[in-house]
Amino acid sequence: MNDRRSRSRRKFLHTLAGAGVIAATDLPWWEAPFITPRKAWGAEPVRFQWSVPEPTRITLMNSLVERFNQSQKDFVVQIEYVPQAQARQKLISAITGGSPPDLCQAWDNWVGQFNGMGAVEDITARAKSWQHYSDVAPTAWQTVTLNNQIISLPLALTLDGVYYRTDRLKELGLKEPTPDWTWDEFLALAKAFTKIDKNQYGYGMRGGGTWALLYPSEFAYANGAVVLENGKLTVNSKEAVDAFAWYFDLALKHKVTPPSAATDGFVEIVEAFGRGVTSMYQHNSGSSGQQKKNVGADKFATLPVPIGPAKKRASFWFSETLTMFKGAKNKEGAWQFMSFMLEDEPSLKYCTTLGLLPARKSILDKPEFSKDPALAGFVNSFPIGIVSPYLAFPGWGGKIDSDGVPLIQQAMLGKISAKECLDRFAEILKKEMT
Amino acid sequence: MATVPVTLARPRTRPLISWRVHKLLVGYAYLIPAALCMLATVVVPIGLAIKMSLYNNVLYKPQDYHFIGLGNYLRLVQDPVFWLTLWNSVVWVFGSVLLQFIAGFAAALLLQQTFRGRALVRTLTLLPWIIPGVVVGLIWEWLYQPNYGVINDLLMRAGLMQERVAWLSSPDLAMTAVVFTNVWRGIPFFTIMLLAGLQAVPDELYEAAQVDGASVLGRFWHITLPLLRPIIVVATATRIIWTFNYADLIFVMTGGGPANATQITSTYTLVQAYSTLDFGYASALSVVLLLVMLAFTAGYLRITKGVEEID
Repeated sequence: MNDRRSRSRRKFLHTLAGAGVIAATDLPWWEAPFITPRKAWGAEPVRFQWSVPEPTRITLMNSLVERFNQSQKDFVVQIEYVPQAQARQKLISAITGGSPPDLCQAWDNWVGQFNGMGAVEDITARAKSWQHYSDVAPTAWQTVTLNNQIISLPLALTLDGVYYRTDRLKELGLKEPTPDWTWDEFLALAKAFTKIDKNQYGYGMRGGGTWALLYPSEFAYANGAVVLENGKLTVNSKEAVDAFAWYFDLALKHKVTPPSAATDGFVEIVEAFGRGVTSMYQHNSGSSGQQKKNVGADKFATLPVPIGPAKKRASFWFSETLTMFKGAKNKEGAWQFMSFMLEDEPSLKYCTTLGLLPARKSILDKPEFSKDPALAGFVNSFPIGIVSPYLAFPGWGGKIDSDGVPLIQQAMLGKISAKECLDRFAEILKKEMT
Repeated sequence: MATVPVTLARPRTRPLISWRVHKLLVGYAYLIPAALCMLATVVVPIGLAIKMSLYNNVLYKPQDYHFIGLGNYLRLVQDPVFWLTLWNSVVWVFGSVLLQFIAGFAAALLLQQTFRGRALVRTLTLLPWIIPGVVVGLIWEWLYQPNYGVINDLLMRAGLMQERVAWLSSPDLAMTAVVFTNVWRGIPFFTIMLLAGLQAVPDELYEAAQVDGASVLGRFWHITLPLLRPIIVVATATRIIWTFNYADLIFVMTGGGPANATQITSTYTLVQAYSTLDFGYASALSVVLLLVMLAFTAGYLRITKGVEEID
């Protein structure tokens, strides 16, 4: 009896263990924290700095790094999380001190500065012999190429578009805007959405951070302006001034923007839309996931930026990159991890989780991107995507933040005109054209 | 005749260094570790910053690194934003400290009185001081939020306001708003310091003054204030230095905006160093900040000598 009972118990335990193994192996690899990572004895460490450590990204990156560490035995990636506000500063300090990490995640406008410091590894040879080289969109390669040298891998892309509330359209009995909408239609919609007595505004204008200057610059391109023409700075051309004036009038004349617009940064414009204070805002696909949670996937949609008087439009293309440093102690390990992150499944998982667009064309064609209405505006913006003109000189990135944004804020508040704003900005940019 | 052995007194050997000098040297020897630490952590960095301020040192342009003498200082004199930040710093520092002092003193006088629950109130008074500066900045940023912040909501409900006010986005209001937040945070510092001072004032003095017919105001003016003077001098001077260098709150709440309306010299230095990577110019700004602080400290030392005389 006892023997039978013990056999039965053993059988039960075996069954339980077997079921556990099957369940564990059946888990998608990115949800596999319960599987003990394979110990990579003697594996060489790869120091990897990662910014924007909010909970979703931390969980995602931990699982991706764990997956990489399990998939081979030669390298072990050690991830260092740094808040985004300090990430660039930490990297600069590390580069200056001569001890940068092997690899970092950085935006392409930072990489230009790091490259100017002589700190970035040229990965042209590795990239060109990489199996997915031709699958990466050519514009994505442009964002990470300086002086004919590829200096990063584009992990994900961002293009700007316009988010709008579809439920408010129905509520107010307004016509659905079409992808080829114009400035006039944009303004009419912003006015229709604005109900100041209800604390509702048509457009969540951004006055804080780098993009406070980039968004009106995109409008300027729609008016036929360009920042650089044949190497000559034309940021304050008549077309640009007119476009900026039109843009500032959204706040000054038409009052379709919230009173806080002059200091509203990324968090504020996303939050205001999510709370129903604004019904439109300009941003990249990165906040689509958040808006699905905030307002609901069926209550908003996205469109490319509107067509301007010059019958043109442009959306600035930025890349979130993986960048290796010259001072890296483990270049081979860094490269292995970089290329792993652009493989099919990691790239798909990364981009779908964070609402970003993948750099590889074959992944972008997947229904997760092409069929999602929240991303339609950005996918449709590919034909109008251009590399941000402000990446042309490494010194411009810092000057946008230190000098450009305060000028934009002054203009948004009506303290200076659009012409004065751009003339002064042009003087600043001219000094950095080396 | 038997000879008696005579032991001659040997003259005392004169020490190489006198006892007084020896004592002095031992004293200095004890100071060496602390002096070395100060040298490594204060003097050398200051020296390096001064050296860096004399160079064109833009991190992303290593090929342009060269000696420019006082070039960064000349640029600083011609930079209108620098003068604006210096003025903003004065408003920020003296506005904050003056109001913190007045409110802190009032709170200390109140907490000196005997009432039920005094211990609890004293503990609660410390709260704003305990919260980290960055968290204070975030809390007040949301309180001031024009669209869904509590302050606007309460004022509108109370009928005191018809339209929402963008406290941190208006150049006319932003500095007042951040100063108010800093005042809220700094009141407990003065309260605690002055309360400790008040508790040390002997009751007999007040009793004697009362017998002599001194009014409440007279007792405050002739007893409380003179006896608290050393604490007031030390507390205000320390607080002024801290506030001058305190960039966290402004950085979190406005980032120096809108349109540099709340940009103080310390935040401007950070922007120059870490946005434009112009370490030469940022060092020049730091050196000027140091000189301003040194000038203030010199005045402060003169005042504290006055304090010693009182003691």
